Amino acid sequence: MTEHYDIIVIGGGHNGLVAAATLAQAGKRVLVVERRDTLGGAAATEEIFPGYRVDTGATDAALFQDEIIRKLDLTRHGLAFRENPALLFAPQPDGRALTIWRDEARTVADIARFSERDAARWPAFRRQVERMTGLLRGMLLLAPPDLAGLRGGDVMGWAPLALRLRRLGGDDMMELFRLLPMAAQAYLDEWFESDALKGALGGSAVVGATLGPRSAGTNLTFFYQNLGGLLNHRFVVGGIGQLSAALAGAARAAGATIRTGAGVAQILIGDGLDAAAVGVRLDSGEEIRATTVLSNADPRHTLFDLVGPQQLEPEVMRHVRNIMFRGSTARLNLVLSGLPGFAGLADNAQLGGRIRLAPSLDAIERAYDAAKYGRFSEKPYLEMYLPTLHEPAAGGHILTVNAQFAPYKLREGDWTTQGQVFADTVLDTLATVAPGIREQIVHCQIVTPLDLERVYGLAEGSIHHGQMGLEQMLVMRPIPGWSRYETPVRNLYLCGAGAHPGGGVTGAPGYNAARAVLSRVRPTF
Amino acid sequence: MNNHYDAIVIGGGHNGLVAAAYLARAGKKTLVLEKRYLVGGASVTEEVFPGFKFTVFSYVVSLFRPEIIRELNLPAHGLTILPLESTLTPTLDGRDCLYRDGDHYRTLRDIARFSRRDADTYDEYARNMYFMAKAVRYILNIIPPDPTTFHPKDMMGLIDMARHFLGLNQEQLYILAKLMTMSAADFVEQWFESEPLKATLSASGIIGTFLGPRSPGTAYVLLHHYMGEIDGAYRAWGFHKGGTGGLAQTLARAAEAQGAEIRCNTGVSKVLVKNGRTTGVVLDNGDEITAPLVLSSLDPKQTFLNLVEPGQLPDDLVGAVRRFQTFGSSGKVNLALDRLPELACRPGAGRHLAGAVSMSPDLETIERAYDDAKYGNFSKRPYVDVIIPSMIDPDMAPPGKHVMSCFVQYAPYKLADGPWTDEKREAFGDAVVDVLESAFPDIKDVILHRQVLTPVDVERMTGITEGNIFHGELNLSQLFFLRPAAGYAKYRTPIKGYYQCGSGTHPGGGIMGAPGRLGALEALKDAG
Repeated sequence: MTEHYDIIVIGGGHNGLVAAATLAQAGKRVLVVERRDTLGGAAATEEIFPGYRVDTGATDAALFQDEIIRKLDLTRHGLAFRENPALLFAPQPDGRALTIWRDEARTVADIARFSERDAARWPAFRRQVERMTGLLRGMLLLAPPDLAGLRGGDVMGWAPLALRLRRLGGDDMMELFRLLPMAAQAYLDEWFESDALKGALGGSAVVGATLGPRSAGTNLTFFYQNLGGLLNHRFVVGGIGQLSAALAGAARAAGATIRTGAGVAQILIGDGLDAAAVGVRLDSGEEIRATTVLSNADPRHTLFDLVGPQQLEPEVMRHVRNIMFRGSTARLNLVLSGLPGFAGLADNAQLGGRIRLAPSLDAIERAYDAAKYGRFSEKPYLEMYLPTLHEPAAGGHILTVNAQFAPYKLREGDWTTQGQVFADTVLDTLATVAPGIREQIVHCQIVTPLDLERVYGLAEGSIHHGQMGLEQMLVMRPIPGWSRYETPVRNLYLCGAGAHPGGGVTGAPGYNAARAVLSRVRPTF
Repeated sequence: MNNHYDAIVIGGGHNGLVAAAYLARAGKKTLVLEKRYLVGGASVTEEVFPGFKFTVFSYVVSLFRPEIIRELNLPAHGLTILPLESTLTPTLDGRDCLYRDGDHYRTLRDIARFSRRDADTYDEYARNMYFMAKAVRYILNIIPPDPTTFHPKDMMGLIDMARHFLGLNQEQLYILAKLMTMSAADFVEQWFESEPLKATLSASGIIGTFLGPRSPGTAYVLLHHYMGEIDGAYRAWGFHKGGTGGLAQTLARAAEAQGAEIRCNTGVSKVLVKNGRTTGVVLDNGDEITAPLVLSSLDPKQTFLNLVEPGQLPDDLVGAVRRFQTFGSSGKVNLALDRLPELACRPGAGRHLAGAVSMSPDLETIERAYDDAKYGNFSKRPYVDVIIPSMIDPDMAPPGKHVMSCFVQYAPYKLADGPWTDEKREAFGDAVVDVLESAFPDIKDVILHRQVLTPVDVERMTGITEGNIFHGELNLSQLFFLRPAAGYAKYRTPIKGYYQCGSGTHPGGGIMGAPGRLGALEALKDAG
């Protein structure tokens, strides 16, 4: 077989599909190869229990970039969103519950039950977060300049953003410099006194990371997670898999070919003087040639396993080896016989957004402490979602539970035996705010960090393809010197969450990588 | 007594004295006002127990700026820094230790006992840190430019700085970016694998901060401590003859030689402000002393919230100073010893006791000590940095006897179970001695007297808010043009004639003298 494509995209996760669709739209002959039978990677909806389709990875698309929706005309390919009046429901161990609503007055009234002072401060806090995230949002679709090069062309794209920063005036800019490297706890302590409120907000600061709210830089994660609006969510009608389906639809409509069940064993390197990608070899042994290869896999897997260290300079190898993955999230997928009876619940509408169990920032910090020493939390921090409140399924309710902290590397035992133990720990913790939940369980599946790695290819279970700490952001992502989607291997690009801006269902790495390819590749071929 | 001066410096700590010397050198009739009976602030030597002299708070000199030594001709006034020759890190059970000293190859051989790989990369690490410290040292001598104004001076400053840092090669720039953002533990783990080495190197990243070695941001504190230079040798920690108080005495002599006057036992209660301009100070006893220039070497909270009425300052500054993080986290235990204690891993007396003994057996031990502190308890098994000053300078103790200085992390200023009490202080002291006993089995038999200082004691004695040894945490949100507050990082205040010159300003704490020098030079620039 002598197939030849302009572009091969390794991995049909949402970023790979965004890249494929963008490149196909620009007239390239594109092939996507996906190892699994399901598209979407960690943005997929799968029938893991008979009759129940579950978002197995991400559940929310608030960060997905509108520019991509427009460019790829995703609405025409079936993408639709649903928003809920309740943004966040935070049941407390003392039987009360805090609810953050889309409606500000309602939120203020609810916070006032915990602290009058915090309630009074909420509107100003929301305004500051939205001002800061408004500034940062512009960075998602820009490739970071190379720190060492600072070539004119690299920084040109950033000029409008810099101008916007300037227009804000010195005070906001200084405030941004101050706030980004802070610990989320220090920031939230400046504003609020209520543990319930700070705990509920603080969950956003540790998503996917082995860091606690006292860790410097977690405030950046807090802002990042709120780039789509403070605690905002945007659920995809039919499940997050419908976003991936719409992306696949757009790619195919533009002429791309998508093959599932086609894992890549190796990126083929040409015989030239410098390493250049010329195609891929599939697990089946089949070889497919292409002018350019994009990898939606994480940078370490791409460069170490698919390319091979023999093609890389020792310096680059060291940077790749030093990428900190540190997955810390486990997932519990539950089917319940009815709605869980959460403490403090007055109205089922409260459950339509995210549900968080984090009674205080210290509770999250203590959960993190365990992970530092290679143990899972005895009282994990939980973030949950009840999709069946919006889209009823066969009689029961689906509850997806993200539990932190479950470090990939356990000091004692391993995840093949500890998964069930941790599932019990999660259920015990959940029962403190939802008594009787155990009796409601119809199906229960634990997805450990090891499962995330084996099934979804997330190295060390890191849902962001590398921890999003300060030292692995912007010019330092994925590795220093290679922040512009190119790799040390010519014609090989990274288009996954390991590249700027990072994880979450943003579509930005895929979109940026595709544009990097289009701007670099000679138009003659 | 004369009550009119050209310049008044509030606080006779090392930065206040440096500032006074520079002001006097420029011809200003300068007065230093010190609340305590002696100068030095947190760098004092006192005879706490008869015959036993202690460097009560700070204990080593490493960061002191060479240009100050040069410009004030400090050697002529008695500057004598004796090198600390080695660092010894006992293992958790105390039976073995990692020993690093000036003999490079012996040090490498000792590291290799724990890990061959670590011995192989040690030189590369040292070389990198040397370059980093050298590169970053540049900022110690500049006034932080404000990146948000279009003022030509700021623009020039930014361009100069960009040119300086872009002069580094690619790899060095990346290491710098990592140093600014990573945790000390993650940073050293990029090079090393053996516990005592990783822990003892990371420990520099937690000194004086309310963070653990795994907390992002501590790699910068590590670098901060690497910037020390004595006679051009980086990371050479030294001990001033007579203790750090000896350095303060040297500075006082230098200031007086330039014509400055120093009054001890003279606390300042208020800075006088008329029409947005300072006119002098009011003393605790009610006396007024007038001067067109007033410099405060106290911490930002004292400088802005206590010495002046907050109503005289813009709200944004008051808010920023209130938010300024000043968690005290360090304690100090000073021991008078009947004789030299013995190390289990190296019995007998010897030069190895003339260096530092770092009670940092592994990263987890230090991190757990931090875990205790972050929830408001003192560490049950604290990190302790020990030196025996009488081994370096025999005058510190009576013949045959010794003094031991123990710097301790962590002792949080605020305890979860209520204020510090005498019982808690002694319990904390016991925890420290227990740690010492793991390395010095006979320590309990040789202790004659013990002084335990918590951050509350440091605050009470020196006046530093919360006893924070750096006058405020050294984190990215509080450094450079953000120290102590955005728009007020150039030593000036909204009150004309009133300046800052303490560790709460750029470039921060440690016995460095840079804030005192830069503050005085800025004040002189304005005064013409």
